[in-house]
Amino acid sequence: MGIAGRFHDGLMAHVHAVGLEYEQLGGVGTLVIRAQDQSELGRWPAADLFSVHGRKDELRLGANGQPTGARVVVRGREDVARVLATLPVLHEKQRQQTGREIRLAVTATVALAAVIVAYLYGVPVLASRIVGLVPPAWERSLGETVARQMEASLGDESGGGMQICDTNPDSLANRAIARFGAAALEGSESPFALDIKVVKSDIPNAFALPGGQVFFFSALLEQAETQDEFTGVLAHEVGHVAHRHGMEQLISTAGTGALIGFILGDMTGISVAAGLGATIIDARFSRDAERQADTFAAQVAERMDFNPAGLADLINRVGADDEFARALALLSTHPLTDDRKAALEILSRQRPTGLEPPFTVAEWSAIRSMCGAPAPAKTKSK
Amino acid sequence: MAWGQEQPVPVVFTGTRRELGGMLLRGYALLIPTIGLYRFWLTTWKRRFYWANTEIDGDPLEYTGNAVQLLLGFLMALAVFVPLYGLFFYLSTQSSETVIIGYSGVAVVVWFLMGYAIYRARDFRLSRTLWRGIRCDQGGSAWGYALRRFGWSLLMLPTLGLAYPFMAANLWSYRYRHSWYGDRQFGFVGSWKQLARPFYISYIAIGLIGAVGLGFGSAMGAMPVSGTPDPVGYVPMVIAAALIGMMWLYYRSRELTRMFSSVRLGQAALGVTVQARSLAGQYLLFGLALVGSYIVLALGGLVVLGTIAADAFAGGEFDPELFMQHLQGSFTVLAAIVFGYLLLLAAFSLMAELFLGLGFWKLVARGASITGVDSLRSVKARGEDTALAGEGLADALNVGAY
Repeated sequence: MGIAGRFHDGLMAHVHAVGLEYEQLGGVGTLVIRAQDQSELGRWPAADLFSVHGRKDELRLGANGQPTGARVVVRGREDVARVLATLPVLHEKQRQQTGREIRLAVTATVALAAVIVAYLYGVPVLASRIVGLVPPAWERSLGETVARQMEASLGDESGGGMQICDTNPDSLANRAIARFGAAALEGSESPFALDIKVVKSDIPNAFALPGGQVFFFSALLEQAETQDEFTGVLAHEVGHVAHRHGMEQLISTAGTGALIGFILGDMTGISVAAGLGATIIDARFSRDAERQADTFAAQVAERMDFNPAGLADLINRVGADDEFARALALLSTHPLTDDRKAALEILSRQRPTGLEPPFTVAEWSAIRSMCGAPAPAKTKSK
Repeated sequence: MAWGQEQPVPVVFTGTRRELGGMLLRGYALLIPTIGLYRFWLTTWKRRFYWANTEIDGDPLEYTGNAVQLLLGFLMALAVFVPLYGLFFYLSTQSSETVIIGYSGVAVVVWFLMGYAIYRARDFRLSRTLWRGIRCDQGGSAWGYALRRFGWSLLMLPTLGLAYPFMAANLWSYRYRHSWYGDRQFGFVGSWKQLARPFYISYIAIGLIGAVGLGFGSAMGAMPVSGTPDPVGYVPMVIAAALIGMMWLYYRSRELTRMFSSVRLGQAALGVTVQARSLAGQYLLFGLALVGSYIVLALGGLVVLGTIAADAFAGGEFDPELFMQHLQGSFTVLAAIVFGYLLLLAAFSLMAELFLGLGFWKLVARGASITGVDSLRSVKARGEDTALAGEGLADALNVGAY
């Protein structure tokens, strides 16, 4: 009598208490499964055997060519060890199987890593291509929607939406700003007409929306000490419009969400990991966009006489990077101000001389007083 | 001998928490170098553990699925999700009204798809479950199940949830009446009548407790019309929430007991007893384990921070400026944030699996017994069902249990 085991033939839900024997004839091994009355229930060639996963100290054997559910089960550490010692083929097949799975896992991981790398480097390029396919009319209407939502969220105190500083489009200041915008955008082949609005707000900020709308908040204007500073920021925002960064960012955010969802297996994207991952990647794209807009401002400064590094000065005055911002620079949507200033100074080194300033003295003072008298700087919200 | 008159055979669970814990920790560690792809292997190992340690009448179950099937299923689910993503993106660029309508529409579609996913996932698991060499299977239609579930949940809204016993009994019945063991079909003898009493008792009790808790809470100043809320007022609310939790566990234990005990397989009958207090005990254990592991993690984190930024903590005082200077390198900070988050997440899912997942499985397995097991010896195997590649949608929608 051989090793005791349990046998399922894979055809009926029977259990047979069996004895297992190993026969070797002319180099061909066979596992013989015998019932208690010594009748033979099966002969499984050793080469066809494989083990399947069972619990601890249990060996479950199946065999190719047998019904898929057919199993021989051996229990107990000693008996399992004896069977394994007799049938080295089991170890061999187990190793092959594990090897296959590891190769597959490694291949899949490498493929996924390649997708991620391709995404990180390819999406800025791809997004700008895709943006080219987005109809300008769609982007314009999207910008209007965003502007409406923004007005609703910012202008709730006064109730009447955002207050435009100088409502007369033909005023000296508005005409000067529009002229500058058009001149800055010239040659960028942008499908949009700029619409620059200086609006009242205590938040020192300026931004461009999809579709060519640019908002410049009065608090930022009040803090601008020189023409260079104001012009630099404005040129930077026009750069966002020229590059269609708003739309680009929407597309890359959607792509990032899908990618992170794929990695985490959480396609709903509500976990913190998904949020954090998406933030890191999107912030990277956003910093690239900021640098592009800075470069655009520097290029504008080659046609008009202003120092684009002024934009870094203004940003620095509004909110200098603190230690915290430096520590978390990878999560920030903007590059560190010091780095921007350094980059802008390098870019503006070869500026030609003898250019016209973007605004005359009269225009600049009109712009300064657009939102009421050039009052002494208000207390900052930061 | 008459079938069904024999002694019921208890279901035995032989796995240990330590074994599962070791497997999970190894799996979590491997998730990092594989960028998360190891999750398919981890799920497979977990299932092998659960199945192989569940012994019925001397023979354990066997899980025959593998990780590659899960991986393929996930890739297929992407085919559903990519268009949904496109739709989301398009909607997010529209006006607010369109966004709200559109998102609600997508949410309804996802809710419907979840029914499909749940059924397919169950099909996947059953068709990869082997006992005594014979495979289980699930017939029926996943779309039919999804429709049924969706229809019932529509009915739940106007009835304020009162339709629940009917829905639960109907869905349990559909699932089991379409389940097979070899060539033998499962049956289900349960009905809404078994659920009605515990459900409506809990329903009313929860309503009353909630109202009383809110009433006392607001009377004691938890939600003043103006001014700051009085923290004392939260006490009755917290007590009410705890009692509501107890009622919910009570109902859940009744539903599990009565519905599982209505499962039949030919002349064999399943009997399951789940006690509400055992369920509550699990949640208590889980809570304690979670708090314990977070305390250990917090202490470990402090020790690490203390070593890398020792002078920020010098003299028993914390200097944030100095501390931030230590974190100048963005990558260090980022790595610390990500690693810390992963540790917290791992601790949470480890404790959830060890105390809720394993706890629940053990509770049901140990409370289960089967009468008429001998009648199953005549069950024959059926043909192969290899059409199912993974349970991708369930994985992607995060509805797959075990």
